[in-house]
Parts: sequence; C-alpha cells; structure tokens
Amino acid sequence: MSAARRRITGAYECARIQTLIAFTYRTDYLFNLVGLLLQVYLLRVVWTSVYGHRVSVAGVTLPTQIAYATLGTLQYWLFNPWGFSMIPERVRTGKIGVDLVRPVPFLHQIVSSQIGLTVGLAPFALVALPFAVLLGRAAGPASTGAGAVYLLSLVFGYLLTILLASIVGMMSFWTTEVSGTFMMYRMVSQFFSGALVPLWFMPGWLADLTHVLPFQATTYSPLAIYLGRVHGGALVTTLAVQVLWIGLAWLALRLTWARALHRVVVQGG
Amino acid sequence: MRTLRMYFLLYGAALRGQTQYRGNFVMMMFAGLAYQGVGLAFIWVLVGRFGGIAGWTLGQVAFLYGIRLTAHGLVTVPCAQIFSVDQILREGDFDRYLVRPVNPLVQVLTGSLSLQVFSDLLGGLIALGAAMSTVRIDWSAGALAFLVLAIVGGAMVELAIVLAFASLSFRLLSVRSLILLSLTTMQNFGNYPIAVFPAALRFVFTFLFPLAFIAYLPSTVLLHRTGELSVSPVLAWGAPLVGVLLFAAAYRLWVRQSRHYASSGH
Repeated sequence: MSAARRRITGAYECARIQTLIAFTYRTDYLFNLVGLLLQVYLLRVVWTSVYGHRVSVAGVTLPTQIAYATLGTLQYWLFNPWGFSMIPERVRTGKIGVDLVRPVPFLHQIVSSQIGLTVGLAPFALVALPFAVLLGRAAGPASTGAGAVYLLSLVFGYLLTILLASIVGMMSFWTTEVSGTFMMYRMVSQFFSGALVPLWFMPGWLADLTHVLPFQATTYSPLAIYLGRVHGGALVTTLAVQVLWIGLAWLALRLTWARALHRVVVQGG
Repeated sequence: MRTLRMYFLLYGAALRGQTQYRGNFVMMMFAGLAYQGVGLAFIWVLVGRFGGIAGWTLGQVAFLYGIRLTAHGLVTVPCAQIFSVDQILREGDFDRYLVRPVNPLVQVLTGSLSLQVFSDLLGGLIALGAAMSTVRIDWSAGALAFLVLAIVGGAMVELAIVLAFASLSFRLLSVRSLILLSLTTMQNFGNYPIAVFPAALRFVFTFLFPLAFIAYLPSTVLLHRTGELSVSPVLAWGAPLVGVLLFAAAYRLWVRQSRHYASSGH
C-alpha cells in the first residue's frame, strides 16, 4: 500500500470510529435535539415579537430573519458538538502517547475524527430539519447560484470551525485543564460567528469588530450568501476572506503543533 | 437543624477540595460569566436594536434576566449536584448515603462541587445591580423585601422542577438529558417576558412547567406591569409562596420515589 493511500485509509478509520461514537450516545443527542428545536421555536417567537408590525428592518424582512435564525441554529449545532475538540481528553488521559505512534499524522487524526463526528451527527440534524422548518420558518436559497455558492461557503465555514477549535484544543498541551478556556472560547466564538445575532443587526462598532475576527466566516458568511445578502463582487470577497482565514488557521495550527509536540512527556507505559 | 449543620460541614469539605486548583477556579468563573453574558448580549443587541420587546424596555428585560439568573445561582451554588443524581444512583454511591446518619439528599448535594456555579450567582447579581440602576422602581423597604422573597421563591420553583425530574431517576436510572432539557428550557424561555408567547404556551409556563413564577410574575409586580397578565395578579404577588409550596411538593415526591431505590448491587 502506498504511503498516501495508507494515510487516507487511516484518516477514514479515525472518522468512522467517531461516527460510531456519535451513534452510541443517540438518546442524549435526541434529547439535545428537542432542546435545539425549542430554541428554534423560541427565536421565531422572539423575532416575530420584536418586529411587530414592521415589514422590514435594516432591509431584512421578518421571514428572512427567521430563516436565518433557524438555519443558523441548526448549522451551529451540527458544527459545534459539546466536546468539539478531542485533544484535551487525549492529553489529560495520556492517550496522546498512542495517537503519536499511529501511522496517521496527529493533525490528520484530529481533523478526520472531527469530520467523522459531524457525519455521525448529520442524520440527527436531518431528522430535526423538517421540525425546525415547521417550528421556525425556512426560506429557499435566494437563487440557484446562491444555493450552490452557499454549499461551497458552508464547507469553508466548517473547515475553519474545526481548525479554530483544534488550535484552542492545542492549549491543553500547556495547561492540561482547559474546560474553562474551552467554554469561554465557545461563547465568544458563538457570539461573533453571528449564530445568535446576524451582523446586520449589530451596532456599528460591534459589526466592525466582528468583521475583522475570523468567527463570522464560519457561520455568518454562508448564511448571508444563502439568503442573498451578499452578491456580485462582495461574494468573491466573502469567499476569499474565508479561504484566507482557513490558510492562516492552518498555518497557526501547524506552528502550535510543532511547539506542542516538544511538550509531550509520556509517562510509564 | 442538625441536617443543616451537616450540610454546611460537608459542603465546606467539597469546596475545599475544589478550590485547590486556583488557576482553574478563576478560569471557570470567567467561563461561567461568559456563558451567561452571551445570553444577555443577545438580548442587549436585539432589544437595543428594536427598542423593546412586548412593551418591555431593555432595562426591564435585564431586570427580569437578573432575577432569573440570581435565582438560578441560588439553586446551583448549594444544589448543582442534583443535576447528576442519576449517575450517583447508577454507580451505587447511594448505598453509602443510606447507611450514613445524614439525610441522603444532603449527601447527594454535597458529594462534589462544580466551581462554575459561583459565576451564576455573581453574574445574576451584576445583571440585577445594573438593571436596578436603570429601571424606575420606587425602592421602598417593602419593594426590596418583595425582591428578596421573589428571588428566593424563584430559586425554590427552579429547584422544585429539577428535583421532581431528579426523583424519576429512582425508577428510570437515566434522567440526565431530561434534567438538562428542563434547565435549558428555563434558561432560554425564562429570560423573556412570558407575554411574548402565544396563549397556549403562557398556560404551559404558568401551570404545567411553572417557569413564569421564577422571574416573570414577580417582576411584573415590581415593574408595575401586572396589567398585562392573563392570570390574576394575586398569582404574581404570591409567587414566593408558590415557590415554597412547589418545593414542599417536590421534596415529598423525592422521598416517596426514593423508596423505589434498587441498588445496582455490590
């Protein structure tokens, strides 16, 4: 077997195991979904209430805003499961020692495991989708083109989500206990990703700040494209910004990993 | 009295155990504040942008949020362990609690401690303090007393709901997801004036899953908004009392259900 082929099979196996793990905890995920659907419903009620009789605010109609909230909530749930980086657990339990001698590079293991987990969660999201549409409201993509570009942008957003979470996960090589850091990262990234409030409703200074941070490229960008809020030259810029952040995040991850590797002390065994 | 003393002794021991990791303690406090802060940030941007929700101003919603979070903190600081009661039952730790001469519920509550809970209380007090300086309320001694009673009563309502679900664990063994779901529901829906919801949901949140009593009903009294209620204002004034009654009922349920405890066998 060629080296490249072996790597791909290895990465595939890492992903498959995570998919199985996701299914083992299916009852938990199902309850989790009920919570998610309630959240979708709550957002619809809240947005409807604040809109009142207004047809459109900041150029956004109520149905568009509800579709944004519904899709955004689902997308965020799928991309950010609670244990969204496996690194801290591997470091704390010392399993990292085994990971390092595997024939698949560690960074590939993390990324493919993360993809595997998402694949395992995707059926749950699919089950939730019709209910979410019923409880919230959905809108089709602004145009066929917008739909196609959305899918591309969604893949970019997903990759960036994984890379950013992995960088934060790497911190566990230095501090071992990262539950606090992780939770803080989760909250900050959720807010600035636009998953809660779209950038168009943020006060000017907050929107400016959000624009220069990488998080908006994970969630807000694909959704804005889907709903037709970004087109023409801005569309290209949005995609380019996503690619740029992915490149930067990948570089940062490699750098962090190169340093983290020197911190590994495998005890006993 | 003795039960209370035992509670404080055991709680102190659990607290000393956890505060050994100072760095993480500080981090968990910040994380907990961030967790609650994001919820408030959403409301702040939303209500700030649209000028109000269901006729409530930003300050009024923040006041409601502060009461709810402070009440939540009053539950989680002493009682967060109840959230993982099913694990204690499944792993047979409850056997140990039954043979020791202290109320088993006290032992469940003091078995371990998560430091993050202190940020619930701190965050709640900060939100409440900030809101109290912006909303116009005539702070007479009576109003202040009602506020304190309302927060304690709200905590008892929340605890009663959780304890009711927790007591199901004697038969069902796995109720963690159910408890978490009830908590997230209180956390998400409890932060808004119940008036924004359709009539059916208002009924559910008042009589079936009584989260309206945690913060919404008492805050309508303090904010002079009882006019918007679809139920009698007596319920809003009596919210603290409802908390006591619900808690008493939930505790009875817990004691009765605990008779169904079948040890996991050791």
